[in-house]
Amino acid sequence: MSDQPPVPVDLIRRLPATFGPALRDQFAQWNLLFSAERRQLQAQMDWLAKLPREEFDGLFAPLAAIESRMALGWDSNAAALGVRDTGILARSPLYPQWRAEVERVFSRIDEAAAPSGPFQKLPRLLVCVLPAGVPLEEQTLWPELAAEGAWLPLAGPFGAMLAPFASAIATRRPPPELDADERTWVIECGSRFTALAGVPVLSWADIEALRREFLHRLNAVQRDLRSVDRTGDELRRADIAHITPHSLAANARVREFLRGVLLSGNGSLVFPNSFVEWAAAEALRRAQPQALLACFGMRQKLKPFSSLVLFEDQNRANPVASSDDPSGSLVDALLLSGYVYLAAQRVACYPGHTLTLLGAADSDRVLALGARAAELPGSPASAEALASLALGWLG
Amino acid sequence: MTRRDLSRMLLAVLAERLPRARAAAPAPARRVVLITLGGIRRQESWSPAGLRYIPRLYQDLLPQSLFYPYALNEGVTSHFNTISSILTGVWQHVDDWGGEKPANPTLFQYMQEQTHCGPEQTWVVTSNKQLTANISPGVNVILSKQLMVEAVERIVNGQSQRSRLERQQLLDEMSALLETDYERIGWGVPSESAFRDPAVKQTLLSALANFIHGPDAPASGDDLTFLIAREVLTRLAPALLMVNFSDMEVAHSGSYSLHLGGIGRSDRLCHAMWQFIQAAPALRDSTTLVILNEFGRDPDGSSTNGFFNHRSGMESCRLAWAMVLGPAAGAPRVVEREIRQIDLTPSIAAWMGVDCGRLPGSLLKEFHV
Repeated sequence: MSDQPPVPVDLIRRLPATFGPALRDQFAQWNLLFSAERRQLQAQMDWLAKLPREEFDGLFAPLAAIESRMALGWDSNAAALGVRDTGILARSPLYPQWRAEVERVFSRIDEAAAPSGPFQKLPRLLVCVLPAGVPLEEQTLWPELAAEGAWLPLAGPFGAMLAPFASAIATRRPPPELDADERTWVIECGSRFTALAGVPVLSWADIEALRREFLHRLNAVQRDLRSVDRTGDELRRADIAHITPHSLAANARVREFLRGVLLSGNGSLVFPNSFVEWAAAEALRRAQPQALLACFGMRQKLKPFSSLVLFEDQNRANPVASSDDPSGSLVDALLLSGYVYLAAQRVACYPGHTLTLLGAADSDRVLALGARAAELPGSPASAEALASLALGWLG
Repeated sequence: MTRRDLSRMLLAVLAERLPRARAAAPAPARRVVLITLGGIRRQESWSPAGLRYIPRLYQDLLPQSLFYPYALNEGVTSHFNTISSILTGVWQHVDDWGGEKPANPTLFQYMQEQTHCGPEQTWVVTSNKQLTANISPGVNVILSKQLMVEAVERIVNGQSQRSRLERQQLLDEMSALLETDYERIGWGVPSESAFRDPAVKQTLLSALANFIHGPDAPASGDDLTFLIAREVLTRLAPALLMVNFSDMEVAHSGSYSLHLGGIGRSDRLCHAMWQFIQAAPALRDSTTLVILNEFGRDPDGSSTNGFFNHRSGMESCRLAWAMVLGPAAGAPRVVEREIRQIDLTPSIAAWMGVDCGRLPGSLLKEFHV
């Protein structure tokens, strides 16, 4: 693409060796980065490039000193790191010091190169929904977060309001400075919202063919690191367009985002709610959409013996009938929806600018957190009123 | 909850139960069963909110134990490195996938060299497949869960004449694998004939049969690990047996409810192991049981996705605990002082009458040597 900046080869060469592969990889993937990532990467590189030599060296000297004692044995010009490389790093006796120093360096860079301007001040919306059919009476919903927010009564079950609510959010007139992938994202276990036009909708149910293909390939991995790396490389390069829903396959950035989520562990290939949590956390970190709707779902009970092989389809060869696990799904989704909220708190544009709504499909109230939570009406809100409230907040 | 609060709570439980605690008895021979558990955070175990997940450790075992609530993992918070550190008394930095041996001798090796015991006295029964034969030369390594995983995969993938995951078919498949494929799975045998020994073979087959046809229809990897470990104790009574439970590691896939289920299962199995030792006259007075978690897990809100992982290096990840039961425990007590996991190595060795030389770990003076 024409807006791709030149790779700052000299700058990368001056950086500690452990930074090189990741940075080179990011520039190589520039066309697949979301706008927020491009802005951040460019701001970081610009700031570093302008940093006086003495300050630059001072910033990285402690890290370079640690690296020199780590005997990493990496190819400093490598385009990316394999499992073996990261294993060597993580088991180094100096890894804790290295990690602490990396955090210090990035804290300094992020502080100095923090994005400013309209993107940072936009009002934002985060909605997490627990599935229908879970025994809400068994758990107190978000007890710690509830102490920070306010419960908004609804005129009916939240689940019944979701379709018009999501439609209103998806079809709102967004701020002109946002591109299509920065406006609204929906991540769900089911396929309730896949017909929403114009917004990325990542549905666990709709990507079954893609998941099965990845699981099939991963199941064939041998017990050695070369096999792990080789399979990982193959899956990162594989053509997945034909097994990806068309709306996702047509958007290269979202398609590659999805591939990255599924190949980065965290249970995203195994459990539907893990997929929703991890995809939402990654979308918040990377694409930074103005509005994100995360709908959790029902997990099936694990079957005897099949459950040992999480990467397998537990219905194969197992005579035990499938059944839902409502209690377990509630425990999972409660914690993971809290993790989505916490993930937003780690991305600079969300804290202080975000209205968060946490609710259960079968419940007639939602927990509101963050901006204006205390100003919400005390009377039960209808579907229209809830949508109007969210749209009013988003401007 | 502060450390002081936790200490008060633990001491109160001890005070309540101390008069009933059993005094340590002199032992003609000394055995150790060392149980390591995967990653369990403080908030899901030794905290007011977490005690409900470990009722047997808290209510039944704590009052009889020497308990160290603050056992730090200062090494690499991965499975192979942590367990090999505990076994060697030196923080290990080797391949996490079990592709390398620990860089220092293990307790098993010290014991074999100094007591001239045979390999039949040293066993590892583990749910974690990373604890391959590399964990210690000359030790019998049973990758129990992996045996079942392989059997399940063969049936599911149509690589076996058996076609359904029914209990008898699974038993047949595991038995067949035991005959032909144990080394490929990663099991360790000190000599080629070890698993040909009828006593050893019968031990394993009996455990598998108990697992498949047991009264409670157990189905998890840790249940199988427990039954094999129990059978090894019953039939072979080794001097040093290390057992590893890892069902809680389903956390890596993000199901919190299943993670909690794994913690609860390890609580139950640790208790069952202690009950079994106490009920066996040949073991009761001679066997010390040491239970510890390898590490915690990452805190909620961390950039490493919270309980899913154990690599943040934060206190939530590094803070573990250790419990000692039996003759080496002496009188029940809670030791509030921070210890390091590698301190357990020279302490266990000293109790067994084995000299590990100069190790970074310190001898724990509370061990009733």
